Amino acid sequence: MFGTSKASRGLIVAAGAATLLLAACSSSSSSSTTSSAAASSAAATSASASSSASGSAACDVTGKKVAFVMGAESDPFFQAMKVGAAAEAQAKGMELIWQGDAKEYSPATQIPVVDQVLAQKPDALVLIPTDPKALQPSVAKAKAAGVIVANVDTRVENLDDVLTFITGDNADGGAKAAESLAGAIGYKDGTKYKVVVGLSSETATTNVARLEGFKKAIADKYPGIEIVDVAYSQSKPEVANTNINNWLTKYPDLNGIFAIDGTNAQGAAAALQAKGLTGKVALVGYDAYPDNVKLVKDGVITSLIAQVPADEAKQAIDAVADALCGNTAGIQKEVVIPNFTIDKNTTEADLKQYTYVA
Amino acid sequence: MATTETHSPNPAGTQVVVASSRFKTLISNQQFILLIVWILMVIGFSLINHIFFSVGVAENILLDWAPLVLIAVGELIVIISGGIDLSVGAIVGFTGVISAFAMRSLYEGSLAEQPYLVLAIGVLVCVIVGLLVGLINSLLINYAKLVPFIATLVTLGACSGMALVFTKGAPVMGGPREAIALSPAWIGPFSRPVLIVVVVVLILWAFVHKARFGRYTFAIGSNSFAARAAGINVKRHVTKVYMLSGLMAGLAGFFFYLRLGSGAPTSGLGNELDAIAAVVIGGAALTGGVGRVSGTVLGALILTTVTSGLIISGVDPQWKRVVVAALIAIAATLQALRKTEGGAS
Repeated sequence: MFGTSKASRGLIVAAGAATLLLAACSSSSSSSTTSSAAASSAAATSASASSSASGSAACDVTGKKVAFVMGAESDPFFQAMKVGAAAEAQAKGMELIWQGDAKEYSPATQIPVVDQVLAQKPDALVLIPTDPKALQPSVAKAKAAGVIVANVDTRVENLDDVLTFITGDNADGGAKAAESLAGAIGYKDGTKYKVVVGLSSETATTNVARLEGFKKAIADKYPGIEIVDVAYSQSKPEVANTNINNWLTKYPDLNGIFAIDGTNAQGAAAALQAKGLTGKVALVGYDAYPDNVKLVKDGVITSLIAQVPADEAKQAIDAVADALCGNTAGIQKEVVIPNFTIDKNTTEADLKQYTYVA
Repeated sequence: MATTETHSPNPAGTQVVVASSRFKTLISNQQFILLIVWILMVIGFSLINHIFFSVGVAENILLDWAPLVLIAVGELIVIISGGIDLSVGAIVGFTGVISAFAMRSLYEGSLAEQPYLVLAIGVLVCVIVGLLVGLINSLLINYAKLVPFIATLVTLGACSGMALVFTKGAPVMGGPREAIALSPAWIGPFSRPVLIVVVVVLILWAFVHKARFGRYTFAIGSNSFAARAAGINVKRHVTKVYMLSGLMAGLAGFFFYLRLGSGAPTSGLGNELDAIAAVVIGGAALTGGVGRVSGTVLGALILTTVTSGLIISGVDPQWKRVVVAALIAIAATLQALRKTEGGAS
């Protein structure tokens, strides 16, 4: 579910005990992803695709050790990433060391994992830093040990020691959500429309970037749409459900909902079903978890904006493989992968490619 | 034992007594105060946005109130007994996902044609899992000799952790679609599940205030040594109390399943704090031996009214925490005053 993988990873930190600290955790553990989000993503993807093709042909990386340290094993987002990483490592004959905390998305648990992984003397380290500042020394340490470092999804503050940073484009996702929502409500200039946005966290960069992208697209292209309310669910579906229930009462003429992650989509979908408003109020969700995709097919969710975690991992493995061959010419410092919109018309082939592994 | 003001030789003491006893009557009727507070809230929110005064909003409030009151009354009984149960929120999420798994496999398997039977089995799973976690709590307290705070903190961590591991963080869907269809209002703002919760709360009220179960609970919470001396099997009763609390949390877990049509490992996270807030606002003492079901019911109603009120008013619902904190402070102060006054009479 937790579409914003970051919010949920932050949330998982809190699961053990201090639940009230939830919002604080997700804020500290997730930051600065998408400042470069506006970068031309199509060019970036094709560039890295071609570089990987030439790289694998150039030299043999068989037996090279690549360590992959991610945020939290429990998050389906990382499960999808793991599939992509494992497949690509296997294709290249590389040994993959997949590590990360079982459920906590935090630098406190991640730094020891990095230390332990570096002790295994890998050739390359693909790191999803849980904090841009706290993990900077770990990156420097790896670099000093002669390990090639790449960042995926999130980045450390200073990319000097990092080969490449590959991320999904959340601002682009927000804009795609606005487009899809406008299409679903039959947007016409001159007419007024009311939409609400359900978020999980005020600080998680995924949430912030998606909301910014959404707002910007509306301001630029759909001035008739007014965002009448936003609220935060702290990654709890029942809280998202309460918010939507009350909004549906408050705005009987509500046109659409942007649920910024899986939790909010879940709460919103339940509210629309219970109040018999399925299909009458458009609902755009985020992240292609299998159950969400099913709700799109059922017409409860109008569309889903999907990230491509498996592809992010694959491109990171490709880039470090190229670098291990000394072939760094085609590697970009930052690669932004655009999001993908899933709706009722999406082909089965695309669904198969974009649906996350549960 | 304390020297009371009525025995004071000071002639001015008479006046003090009159003033203090009026004050005493006022603050001792917590339910009355809560009712006034709640009515004022409803009036206030309705003035801000007239839509608040509608069946639709009442329906929304009741959907939030029902699961909260279930765990809050369970928590009240634990608190009256002198304990605390931090695991209830985690049990909500844990039972929700376990029963969702069970219902999904049945609904996709042999019982595809009998959605209501699947849902009934889902309730049963929630009840059993809730009772089991409650039993573990009581075993940790009675035999491992852990204080309730630690014992239930252990099960909190275990339950929420297992819920996340089993689900890999994702919600569990795929059960009967009839679940969500039960949530809309049926009579006035009451949905069928909410009405069932009302009945459950009435039964618990009788249990606590009219039955031997309640008398034992108050006795143990007031003085567990005296209760033991009076022949109460304290360990056995403590076991019942925590199992009841687990059971209520399990029912709340199922209620969330009905609302969402899925079980989520994050559901209920932190609800123990809402439950404790409802209990404290309702006038119970965390030191044990004091509390009323009606107070907790109103406490839960006030909390959920604040939630919907803030959303309808367009105020950031995060303010709820601040409002709740203020309510707790006031209620706890009244409780402390009552204790000092009460000790004098």
